[in-house]
Amino acid sequence: MSADELLAGMAALSGDAPAKSRGVTSDLTIDETLLLHGMGWEPVDVVFGVSWWSIPYGFWQWQAGELTEASTAFAGAMETATAELRDECARAGGTGVVGVSVEFAVHSRHVDVALAGTAVRRIDEKPTDRKARQNAAFVSDLSARDFVLLTRAGWEPLSLVAGASFVVAPRRSAGQWAAQKTQYVELPNLTQSLYLARERAMERMQSAALQARADGVVEVKLREGPLGNVGRTGVRVMQFIAVGTAVRLGSDGHHSIAPVMVVSLDDALRQFEATSLRQPG
Amino acid sequence: MAADVAPTDGGSAGLPEAAQRRLGHGPWSSSLSVADFASCVALGIEPVGFVQGYAVVTWRYVSGYAGRPVGYRTFTGYPNLGDTGDYMEQWRCPHGFVGGEHRMFGYNFEQVWVEQAWRQGYGLAFGRMLEEAVGLGAHGVIGLVDDMTPLAGTGAEEFSIRGTAVVVPGAKPPPRPFTTFLAGQRLVKLLEAGFMPVSVVAVCSAVQMWGYCMTAYQMVGSAASWSGGVAGVTSIDQVDRAQRAVRELAREHARAELGGDTLHGVSLQVSEREIGEADLSLQCVLKGTRVRRFKDFDPLPPPTPVVRLT
Amino acid sequence: MTSQEPGNEPVPAEPPPEVSGRRGRGVDPSGLPPDAAHRLAELEHGLFTSDLSVNEFLLVKEVGFHPLGFVMGSSIYHLGIQTRRWSQSQELTKLTEAMYNARELAMNRMEEEALELGADGVVGVRLDVNYYEWGSDTAEFIALGTAVKAENGQSYRNKAGKPFTSDLSGQDFWTLMQTGHVPLGLVMGTCVYHIAHRSIGQTLRAVGQNVELPNFTQALYEARELAMTRMQDEATELEATGIVGVRLEEKSHMWGAHTIEFLSLGTAVAKTADHKIPQPNAIISLDG
Repeated sequence: MSADELLAGMAALSGDAPAKSRGVTSDLTIDETLLLHGMGWEPVDVVFGVSWWSIPYGFWQWQAGELTEASTAFAGAMETATAELRDECARAGGTGVVGVSVEFAVHSRHVDVALAGTAVRRIDEKPTDRKARQNAAFVSDLSARDFVLLTRAGWEPLSLVAGASFVVAPRRSAGQWAAQKTQYVELPNLTQSLYLARERAMERMQSAALQARADGVVEVKLREGPLGNVGRTGVRVMQFIAVGTAVRLGSDGHHSIAPVMVVSLDDALRQFEATSLRQPG
Repeated sequence: MAADVAPTDGGSAGLPEAAQRRLGHGPWSSSLSVADFASCVALGIEPVGFVQGYAVVTWRYVSGYAGRPVGYRTFTGYPNLGDTGDYMEQWRCPHGFVGGEHRMFGYNFEQVWVEQAWRQGYGLAFGRMLEEAVGLGAHGVIGLVDDMTPLAGTGAEEFSIRGTAVVVPGAKPPPRPFTTFLAGQRLVKLLEAGFMPVSVVAVCSAVQMWGYCMTAYQMVGSAASWSGGVAGVTSIDQVDRAQRAVRELAREHARAELGGDTLHGVSLQVSEREIGEADLSLQCVLKGTRVRRFKDFDPLPPPTPVVRLT
Repeated sequence: MTSQEPGNEPVPAEPPPEVSGRRGRGVDPSGLPPDAAHRLAELEHGLFTSDLSVNEFLLVKEVGFHPLGFVMGSSIYHLGIQTRRWSQSQELTKLTEAMYNARELAMNRMEEEALELGADGVVGVRLDVNYYEWGSDTAEFIALGTAVKAENGQSYRNKAGKPFTSDLSGQDFWTLMQTGHVPLGLVMGTCVYHIAHRSIGQTLRAVGQNVELPNFTQALYEARELAMTRMQDEATELEATGIVGVRLEEKSHMWGAHTIEFLSLGTAVAKTADHKIPQPNAIISLDG
């Protein structure tokens, strides 16, 4: 950058903004802004979608096996929040939302989902074309960088998709416990019920993708573990939640990205370390 | 308002005497890392000093109508909400008279006094930092870091802002030094892309939700037989609207300070506090750098994807 | 090099125990439950799912493979108590078998799902062990990965007719294929070893200077070698040229500090062609 250009920048500070625009807001970094700009896209506005859904009182206490209302609440909250995000995107005049941060939590009385991202649009698109497409605004938790990579390869993101399932882990009977005490043996009921719960969460996510008429789902993240703060003691609830981005192959098919292999000269001379064979548990 | 404060633009009563001495002479100090400093030098920008501003502010309910604090919750009557700013929504119980502690009314409203107190604290700290910078003849302040920490046990918060004041040799001093959170490579790229940082934008929005009976049943679920049809899984409408409102208010407050420029690198933080069975207090802080386009920029060619072997 | 103090008898040299082999011998995976079958059927209609990042997805496509679906297998295993002589350092063979079987079950179920999808292989395999507060002696073993299929119709299944498995990331998979090698399968060997703690105390009391503790050296050495040998045996079965990305993990799980599982994992590969990799570019990155 030349000194003259910097002085021109300083001079621009005395005075008003060059164009009377509505005031664009964006949570993209400069790298992401440049990558998008290189593809002919620009940010429009930061947009949000938040939804809380209630779970009936006493729900966790009396159930056994799969807890369908909790997964319905989760699905409902995700859908409502995503729809809100789409509406905001449309209102701001965007084509889709990238870099959505997905935060969710399951509490004993409600499920809450909070989404936030930046609506983006093609710079040279005619407003009429954009309006026609606004019902199909895409929403994705892909970063702007991943969005650019995928688009250059010929794919388009469609929507955030998620699936959840909650299950009460079955207990062993005292007899079973005693018999198994000294054995090394698989616990088939427990295995089966957790395995099924995982599969169900993935399946619900898949159905959401099929509904969006996607070709696939990438960057699936599976969050799983015990839900500690619900129900009475002794009732063990496990949660399985899968979230990903549904994508579709464009009409031109897949384009090879032809990466180049590089050897980075950043490292100091590397010596053999015995501990490099061992990874922390 | 609660604290005894000077007007928000950081009046001259602020700076301690030690600041005058430090900034008067001697080698400049700066919080820039070596990499960021090198980028500055490459760009032709010179650091002139480390500048900082602080303010301790405390927030309290303000006395209102009939001796009750503003915001005091009543169950049956129309309470004094104080100044509700740009947002107020009301819900009414569908059950007819139930009596006692039944929440007949619910309100979502903007809590203007919280926003004002926050703006005061941030404004004071910011103003003092800017004053130090102006005293050095700075054209701008880069690499700003801001913080808000509670002072344990006192119920007060300290706002702090620190950065590196810089000059651009040969430039006319702008009406106000430009300010930005960015420094180093990111600042260089921003400038190369044709954007000039104008100023930091930091706003706070606060929304209070007092749940009415239906919201209370959905959130607490007590007395399901009274739920009047709210059994099962449903969306909690009042909360959704309050959450949406607090974010939209923050965005609109920020947009009002842009004057047509762009807000870059937005960061958003929302905090919630449950202060009663079905009462939520929401606060949202939105920050970013206001930037102005000063030259055109051709789109970059597609970058080469690489796979590293180390 | 063995001392004759009581409690410090040399580690008995017995042959490694019979641990059930993989590739369909000895371990019987249970059939897929109906819900899982349904999810996989959906995938066969053309929808793919994967936990690959966008970078990995594009690199996998670059090598001529297409992701089919996210596959998983799990097994909750009860790990009971094995009677042991506390004064002797030795392998706890029943525990070794159990840890191996549990992982095998999880891997086999994951491979079954991949087979169901018609996959050539599974990349990005993660083998995790989860402990939950309930059941202090139960653990859940999970195997997760993304099933892939070659787009040119060539089969990449290994000698046993099963889809290859590998814990290579998308980037490593791409790089490996550039070198003219293909993955055959994730190979593992495990050994659960008990270190006699009484003899530690006795030995330390006798020591006043810097000296090697030969029995312990030998014990830990033996355990690691057992684990790696078993892993190599698996690779030999697959007729591999070599194993890449070997790592040795040492964990006490929930047995206390004196019992350690040594797990050796790697990806067995075979050479397919004399590839000449183009000279990589050397770069110096100027930031961080």
